[in-house]
Amino acid sequence: MTPWLRRQRALADYTLASLARRKGKNIALVAVYAIVVFVLASAMFFAASLRFETSAVLRDAPEVTVQKITMGRQDLIEGSVAEEIGKIRGVTSAKPRLWGYYYDRIVGANYTVMVPDDPEMIPEPGSVIVGEGIPRARGFKWSGAPLFLSRYEGDLKRFDVARAFESDSALMTSDLMLMNEADFRDFFEIPAGLYTDVVATVRNPNEVATIVEKGSNALPQMRFVTRSDIERTYQKLFDWREGLLAALAAAGILAFVIFAAEKASGLSAEEMREIGILKAVGWDTRDVIAMKLWEGGLVSLGAFLLGTVTAFAHVFFFGAPLFAPILKGWAVIYPDFALAPHVDGLELLTLALLTIVPYIAATLVPIWRVASGDPDAVMR
Amino acid sequence: MIFQTPIMALLLVAGLASLTALWSGGFAVQVLRRWNLADMSRAQLQRERATELVSTLFAAVMLAELAALLLFVFNADRMASLFVGAMCAVGTLNVNGYGFPALYLKIGVFFAATLWLMLDRADRMGRDYPLTKVKYGVMLAIVPLVLADAGTELAYFLNMHTDVITSCCSKLFTPANAGLANEMASIGPGMSLWLLGFAGLAVAVSGAVVLWSGRGALAYAFLSALMFALALTAVVSVIAPYIYEYPNHHCPFCILKPEYNYYGYALYIPLFLGTGLGVGAGMLSLFRNRESLADKLPAMIRRQVIWSMAGFAGFGLATLYAIASSNLIIFG
Amino acid sequence: MITLTSVTKLYNEGRPNEVQALKGIDLTIARDAITVLKGPSGSGKTTLLSIVACMARPTTGRVTLDGEVVSGLPERFLTELRRTTFGFVFQRFNLIRGLSVIENVMLPAAPLGGDHAKVRERALERLAALDLADKAQMPVEFLSGGETQRAAIARALINDAPIVIADEPTANLDTDLTMRFLEIVRALRAEGKTVIMTSHDPRIWDAEGVDAVVEMRDGAIFGEFA
Repeated sequence: MTPWLRRQRALADYTLASLARRKGKNIALVAVYAIVVFVLASAMFFAASLRFETSAVLRDAPEVTVQKITMGRQDLIEGSVAEEIGKIRGVTSAKPRLWGYYYDRIVGANYTVMVPDDPEMIPEPGSVIVGEGIPRARGFKWSGAPLFLSRYEGDLKRFDVARAFESDSALMTSDLMLMNEADFRDFFEIPAGLYTDVVATVRNPNEVATIVEKGSNALPQMRFVTRSDIERTYQKLFDWREGLLAALAAAGILAFVIFAAEKASGLSAEEMREIGILKAVGWDTRDVIAMKLWEGGLVSLGAFLLGTVTAFAHVFFFGAPLFAPILKGWAVIYPDFALAPHVDGLELLTLALLTIVPYIAATLVPIWRVASGDPDAVMR
Repeated sequence: MIFQTPIMALLLVAGLASLTALWSGGFAVQVLRRWNLADMSRAQLQRERATELVSTLFAAVMLAELAALLLFVFNADRMASLFVGAMCAVGTLNVNGYGFPALYLKIGVFFAATLWLMLDRADRMGRDYPLTKVKYGVMLAIVPLVLADAGTELAYFLNMHTDVITSCCSKLFTPANAGLANEMASIGPGMSLWLLGFAGLAVAVSGAVVLWSGRGALAYAFLSALMFALALTAVVSVIAPYIYEYPNHHCPFCILKPEYNYYGYALYIPLFLGTGLGVGAGMLSLFRNRESLADKLPAMIRRQVIWSMAGFAGFGLATLYAIASSNLIIFG
Repeated sequence: MITLTSVTKLYNEGRPNEVQALKGIDLTIARDAITVLKGPSGSGKTTLLSIVACMARPTTGRVTLDGEVVSGLPERFLTELRRTTFGFVFQRFNLIRGLSVIENVMLPAAPLGGDHAKVRERALERLAALDLADKAQMPVEFLSGGETQRAAIARALINDAPIVIADEPTANLDTDLTMRFLEIVRALRAEGKTVIMTSHDPRIWDAEGVDAVVEMRDGAIFGEFA
């Protein structure tokens, strides 16, 4: 070991002993610090995990969605549009889709109702396949209970629940209800030949822009939405909510910083005396600063680890009960699923900068002030 | 403006660095005017003690700026999905005219802070603080750099609009886009590697001369800077394509991505280390004749040259490994 | 040899409560001797001691230590010089409560970056020589008055400083312990250390082995006796 390392070790040793001697005070500091880290880390982990989840879901989504726009609103689209789009070079397939929202007045929740593309998922006439959120919202106690849906006062339609999705199928399927085409048209009173929208898949993702351009020229009244548009919108939405929470946490950080600065400058008489002794027996201003930085570093490290680990557990093991309502969405039915643990260096670095930098900034000047006392002060 | 947590972290660091710089600048003016070691008054003693604060603050700023530099590039890469046409950091940095200047200023601040800390270290070795006035003169030059960095960064983030169609790295490094980036990419891979090899050899010889005779640190510093430029050129023109295994992909940022095993860090960290220490050694050699430093400075210069050479060697090894382990064959 | 030439010291310079603690001191303190600064409280002997021991810089004047001018040194180098040249025993001993005896003794060595095991060994040797070996792991607040002082002496000697400084070392000690302290001082002297003390205790200035006594009053030297 070089003298430099040995000096650092000796200073760290002293710091540890000094922290241990003031356990109560330091535990309180670490606890408050860890809470700040915890709040921020929870928000960040949660949002990052949602972003990750979204892009995972969207990875299999069609590249282009085509909607008909009438008077600035989305309208039902003719099935023939799909054929026209299918003719554009580079489009592998184009299919019309039937889907919509149903507001369940009984529990006050919104469901997404869809006619599935996959033949295996098409239910028998008179029955539906539902996401796990729906039986949960309805409070079904046994499987096989019929589902009654009411579109307006006095109306009641019975469906049998063929089966429910597993809950690991993630964020977007929780409120999903699958019907066959005839039931769907009957339930929502949609005439034959009309659809909600058309989706197209494209062989080469680099050609999406060209295809959208061609399609818009051929079908000027249609709106083309690409997968990256959707992804971008989601990213922005989650970023925005994360940012909002972080801004709220900033108030907490500020309060903590004031608390930390106060603590660092208002040392007890006992601590002042100790530093005076250290200076008198031959510690330089630098040595005292280094020792105090060790203290700040150890406190930060402890609080950072504690806050991050508890936030990790909070978000990924317990489903972020404290933040889920703000971050997930406005819908009443929240998906009940475990977020895939996903933390990357970017988040940890951001978290470290947002929490440790203000702490060090708040304590550096007080530390220096304490450290630059007169060495002969204890003799007077 | 895009409201994002990493952006808040970056602005926080930039803001605190600016505050530190402003305060230190004010203190620097005081030092330049009043510093006088012969004066045994309390005011001088307090100035001496305040230099401890400035040194500590600058070390903190340097560390925070280093982290911020990493975060800046890292975040630019992640934000690429928010902009039409962007595939990696290049696209994000091109969203408006402030992106690349902000990056260059950040690198500049990091190097400036590092060099200043070396000066500071050397100054503290002499019993008469021989470089204090030089050090605080230099500080006055660094202050505007830190402020410019913060200002540019703020302008960059405030002027980010997601509806802007930006260009991705594959477009930046093509002949269609005339400019330095293209020039760098279009240097022949063979030529570029030869230049890098010669620069490496020159650095090694010059370093050996410094270690053997204790002279020529200035030449070494100059060669380090040259090596830095040639190394970056080589990354763009030949090393990156080897890592991507795709001859027309020249981006110097995508190599930082997890898809390429973060290989870029193995190249850039030793390169920055070697350059910083090498240029620092040259800077320190300007003061080798100061009487109170005569017995300590040469050792510090030697140490820096050794570590700088180790840094460049690390870069060289990472380059060779990238070429050797690649499936791409450019030569042969 | 330590020499002081026209040394003055002001506290609270330029403020209404400015105090001139030392008024133009000219003094030579011999190495390889025991020197006692005597005088009533407020006479400036502690201030003089702190300047001699490189703890504070004089306001004006010149201090040399073995021929080297130290009065103009920046504080940092003054500290460097001080921690290898001077060992301190303070009036109230100033041990850090909550730390064990050995941890206290090792404190002055921390900034030097010496080998931990060797410093520890040295500390234990010193403690053994002062009959404190069995108390090494004990927190300092459980020591008696005399033990506390001996722990403080062990701390002053940890860096093998050639000059030992003691400020009012016997102010809180009874006669037995004072005699014990003087024995230790004579032993240190025999080891080749230079000892400089302040005291207003006649048992100290009249003690056997004291080579020089400097009497101070009101910040000036009143008399020197050998």
